[in-house]
Amino acid sequence: MSMKDFTYRLGEFWADFRKETSGLIGLGILALCVVVVLLEPVFLPYKDIDGNWRDITYWEDNPPAAPPAWTNLFAKEKSATTIRFESPSVSDEEDPEYGPVRVFTFKYPYKFDKSPLDIIMRAKGTGMLFMNISMERPDGNSVFLGQVYQDGLVGDQIRFAVDTDARGSVYEFIRDHASEEAISQSDSSNVKPTEIIFAQTGEKMLSERIPLKGDYLYKIKIPASLFEDGSNSIEDVRLVVTGRVSGVLGTDTSKRDIYSGIIAGLKWALFIGLITSIISVLVGVMYGIICAYFGGATDTIMSFIFEVFVSMPMLPILIVLSAIFKPSIWIIIGSMIAFYWVGPVKTVRSMALQIKEETYIEAAKALGSSKWRIIFKHMAPLLLPYSFANMALSVPGAIVAESSLSLLGLGDPTIISWGQILHDAQLSGATLNGLWWWIVPPGLFIAVMGMTFAFLGFAMDKILHPKLRTR
Amino acid sequence: MSIDKNDVILEIKDLKKHFAPHQSLAQTLTGKNRKVVKAVDGISFDIRRGEIFGLIGESGSGKTTTGKLVMKLIDPTSGTIVFNGEDVTNSDKARTHAYRRQVQMIFQDPYASMNPRFKIKDVLEEPLIIHKIPGDHVAHENMIIKALTEVKLNPPEEFMGRYPHMLSGGQRQRVATARTLILNPMMLVADEPVSMIDLSTRAEILHMMKDVQRDLGLTYLYITHDLSTARYFTDRIAVMYLGRIVEMGDADDVIDNPLHPYTKALIDAVPEPETGKVDVIKELPISGEIPSPANIPPGCRFHTRCPYAKPECSAEAEPELMDVGNGHFHACRRYKEI
Repeated sequence: MSMKDFTYRLGEFWADFRKETSGLIGLGILALCVVVVLLEPVFLPYKDIDGNWRDITYWEDNPPAAPPAWTNLFAKEKSATTIRFESPSVSDEEDPEYGPVRVFTFKYPYKFDKSPLDIIMRAKGTGMLFMNISMERPDGNSVFLGQVYQDGLVGDQIRFAVDTDARGSVYEFIRDHASEEAISQSDSSNVKPTEIIFAQTGEKMLSERIPLKGDYLYKIKIPASLFEDGSNSIEDVRLVVTGRVSGVLGTDTSKRDIYSGIIAGLKWALFIGLITSIISVLVGVMYGIICAYFGGATDTIMSFIFEVFVSMPMLPILIVLSAIFKPSIWIIIGSMIAFYWVGPVKTVRSMALQIKEETYIEAAKALGSSKWRIIFKHMAPLLLPYSFANMALSVPGAIVAESSLSLLGLGDPTIISWGQILHDAQLSGATLNGLWWWIVPPGLFIAVMGMTFAFLGFAMDKILHPKLRTR
Repeated sequence: MSIDKNDVILEIKDLKKHFAPHQSLAQTLTGKNRKVVKAVDGISFDIRRGEIFGLIGESGSGKTTTGKLVMKLIDPTSGTIVFNGEDVTNSDKARTHAYRRQVQMIFQDPYASMNPRFKIKDVLEEPLIIHKIPGDHVAHENMIIKALTEVKLNPPEEFMGRYPHMLSGGQRQRVATARTLILNPMMLVADEPVSMIDLSTRAEILHMMKDVQRDLGLTYLYITHDLSTARYFTDRIAVMYLGRIVEMGDADDVIDNPLHPYTKALIDAVPEPETGKVDVIKELPISGEIPSPANIPPGCRFHTRCPYAKPECSAEAEPELMDVGNGHFHACRRYKEI
């Protein structure tokens, strides 16, 4: 078939296809998915999700089990969102206590009702470093957060988290402002530093918190003398304000961003679904044609093998296989193909039996065509349209099967799949804890992906299988 | 009329094809054998180089099966097929492949004998690819143009890009003939090539086939149920009834002077387009349907329908083909009386 014919046939197919609304919806979603997969880095707020998904330290700046950021729209009290600051303003000042200092300042405009969970400063240091960290509030008060002293650094990471490293200092701040009575009734261990920092001061500041909105200045002061000989330096200073709500789809209990997981899982879902369906349908179609064409004993034996595979329940065997072999995506795809190829066999066999009796097959034989030439040149092209429809229809099955395996904890640990996200959710009791944003999105995406291909398949089936045409 | 052995291109000897009906396991075990269908039940004939040999008979007489046996599309139960001095009955794969290059077939239905997804060019190039005829695309194209010109499809370039469904029945049958000619075969088996074509174009196609035969020195095995085209088209005729040849001889001789009652009946059944006779429906001397080939009558297999049948026809053994001289054979014991 020449290129011109092909484009002509494609054009004809498209003319039919665009009349199928469901098919167009399916095609639209699929196109969107492909765009997302191709432009994945653009859609992902984090880098190299695949490599870091199971690295707990990568996600440590995120809040655990935080709902999606957009839940603020429906909440009466707005929660702080996660904000990242990359470049502080640097200035040299004269400090009454330390003398000349270099100051790194981050300005954080706070306009929420519920304080952030944590404020984390990160930097890369070399040599010896001493820093004094404080927060200047909009009401003029300054909260001393703590000091960091580190020596012998070779470009090492410095991390200062208010929630863990500033508990004592913040308690001092409470002592200065709250009533004696209130303080005697509490102790520093159950006070959340960020709640104090972002609340108005007063006698009752420990029991009721009124948010103090405005611009906060996070200041890191380093004595200027440190930088004089050039052996000490600090660079890449960043600040993360960890909100109570986070990202498009929230986070899980391991602080991972669920939206990133879902987007990164999309390519795997497509890959698993398409590879499995394409290979298994091709195998099944060829099997059916060979059954029909050779007939006789070949047909009997091959049909028997087919029936054995058809009657085997897939999931239990997949579970056993996954338990025996190290779970790998290739083992999973391979074993799914081993069960899915039976799908088109019976239909193809009956269609091929019909084609086999056509006069032009006999004519080809009379010309001296080999068996394989007849199968590939005369029979297979006629079954190709059916195969395409069948491929689209068997994609959802493969995606769901992989998800089921992953949900049972038998997935490939080197990839991210929606089933695995569900598995993690189940392990952490997400349903019991009401972490709906951890369960609904992956489930919904599995369903939508299945629907997409089902729509495509039904539309193609209708067009390429004229008997099913209702028009 | 002497027959030189070198003159014979195809020699069929006592060819039989019995189809065994599908048996269940129980039937096989109990030995309850259902009767086999004797589609072709022992036929012998020679086809000479360069002649057109007609095989005539009504539906179910086994003429198409004979054609398929000659094409080796099905394997015979017994008997031999000798082509060009070589026994090809049980030849191996390579020999069969070579045989198929020399013997080609034109099918009855020009609408079904070409893959609807192939262009005419692809249809004609297929035999070249199958038999690995040397030459690139251009050389093949030239061969295709030559073959299309031979069957008088003009201009050939215009037809090459078309699909079979864009052609009329007559044009399709010309393409089918071109497909067989492209390999320069020695013999063509034409299985009712004009029966599905409009009456108006039948003669044209037959003319074309005859021209091709004369130009290229081909031999035809022409299978038909139509006596009128057979007389016009063929040199010799064999009349088949229920898997056996009942009469064989020169076309004119057989039709003008039929010896077997079955041949007589066939000839009488041909309507005559003459004034005054058009409306006369002839009284057929034979009646009823052809018996089932699974249940062939004993004795002369025609006696159930023969208007001249006597008790001895069914009681005695089946008559063999007898020569009355000048190459005219028949299988009727009572031909002198009738």
